Amino acid sequence: MSRSAWRITWSVWHALLLREAVARMFGRRAAAVWLFLEPVAGIAFMLFVFTVLRARHVGGMDTALWLSAGLLSFYLFRRTSAQGGSAISANLALFTYRQVKPVDTVITRCLLEGVILLVIATLVAGLLVLMGHSLSADDPLALLWAAFGLWLLGLGWGLITSVLTELVPEMANILNLLMMPLMLISGAIFPLSAIPYPWREWLMFNPVAHGLEGVRAGLSSYYHHVPELSLGYLHGVALTLVFVGLALQIRFRHRVVSL
Amino acid sequence: MIEVLDVHKRYQTDHGPGPWVLRGVNFTIPTNTSVGLIGRNGAGKSTLLRLIGGVDHPNQGRVRRHCRVSWPMGFGGGLQGTLTGRQNAKFVCRLYGEEHEMAERLERIQAFAEIGRYFDEPVKTYSSGMKSRLQFALSLAFDFDVYISDEVTSTGDAAFQAKAAQAFKELVGRSSLIMTSHSGATLQQFCTAGIWLHEGQAHWFDRIDDALAAYQESISA
Repeated sequence: MSRSAWRITWSVWHALLLREAVARMFGRRAAAVWLFLEPVAGIAFMLFVFTVLRARHVGGMDTALWLSAGLLSFYLFRRTSAQGGSAISANLALFTYRQVKPVDTVITRCLLEGVILLVIATLVAGLLVLMGHSLSADDPLALLWAAFGLWLLGLGWGLITSVLTELVPEMANILNLLMMPLMLISGAIFPLSAIPYPWREWLMFNPVAHGLEGVRAGLSSYYHHVPELSLGYLHGVALTLVFVGLALQIRFRHRVVSL
Repeated sequence: MIEVLDVHKRYQTDHGPGPWVLRGVNFTIPTNTSVGLIGRNGAGKSTLLRLIGGVDHPNQGRVRRHCRVSWPMGFGGGLQGTLTGRQNAKFVCRLYGEEHEMAERLERIQAFAEIGRYFDEPVKTYSSGMKSRLQFALSLAFDFDVYISDEVTSTGDAAFQAKAAQAFKELVGRSSLIMTSHSGATLQQFCTAGIWLHEGQAHWFDRIDDALAAYQESISA
């Protein structure tokens, strides 16, 4: 009796997802608490800074909402890509089972991280409502579509970096260094629409910035988003990265497990 | 039946491609024949087992498996340290798509491993002997035609070795074994045929005693 390739892949994804979820939730002491505390603390700190600056509104949007949406969207990209990028090196022991391919570990980790971020976002939204901020998405579909683009971008980037860091381990350091400035130039804590014309156009080559502005625009129809905003661009880049990532996974599928 | 056809293998090192570990290995393992792999350290025994198990891939040539082959057991591979023995066992059951009878499998694994309450403790707290017990029990819980063992019996104590030997006696006629061990006695106990790995080549012997003799001769010469 032999199973079809689809059945095997389905079994592998199912097994990996449950295993990763258990490891993320209970791997360390109070791991689940830290999982949620980290992004919430990040948002709370930035909110404190903005309160000191007495900035009540950014581009016609409640500051708390603007910050939470921007940071959570950025985390969605960063955490998905970071989890995916480290998936292969963290799961080397599993390639003992020949059903498990490197690409499976990357995809399941990204799926799980997407779900975790969804839960965190719900939690933060609940906190904001409790704190008395009025919260309603004017265009929920646009919001979800932008968030999905960011997740897809994270998946693509994770697929690519997981192979690159296996081939060239030093790459991991460089990629980590890049993430810090990326948060700034993506407009997570600084409104890109405040940047004058020629420079802003350059910054909008960064697809993450489109995702962040897209999520905010979906939240509030009064928000003055960056005029260059294009979700098509975000999804185009994301699909390209996923395609390149999958191609790299196929090309180096033997190399990454035999190290 | 497992066919190994003109298999070449070398590993990538930091300074480019390393030396050839296997250079044109050819043999066929017939159905229901247990084989012992013999060779000095670094001869490529583990590499060959990984290639047969489909975990790694040859640079040249190919391996054809015409039967259900287990994953290579040994050195704690395939167990995640932060998860408990039970969680690891569940993971493998799910991989093999046998979720509907998971409870029964888990009982079989727990009964064979005999690691007591440690079955519900993280694997990183296990001794190496306990890891071997769990790995062995895990693969025995599934009906493979061929089991691959990379020194997995050598870390177990006498009681476990006896139990493993008994388990394989019961499998004779249904399943076979491909194994490495540095103990000639263990090989003679489990295997009928032998493969001697020497300078990247594999030499097939129909009787394990002849393979051991050839190996002894090469190290004394």
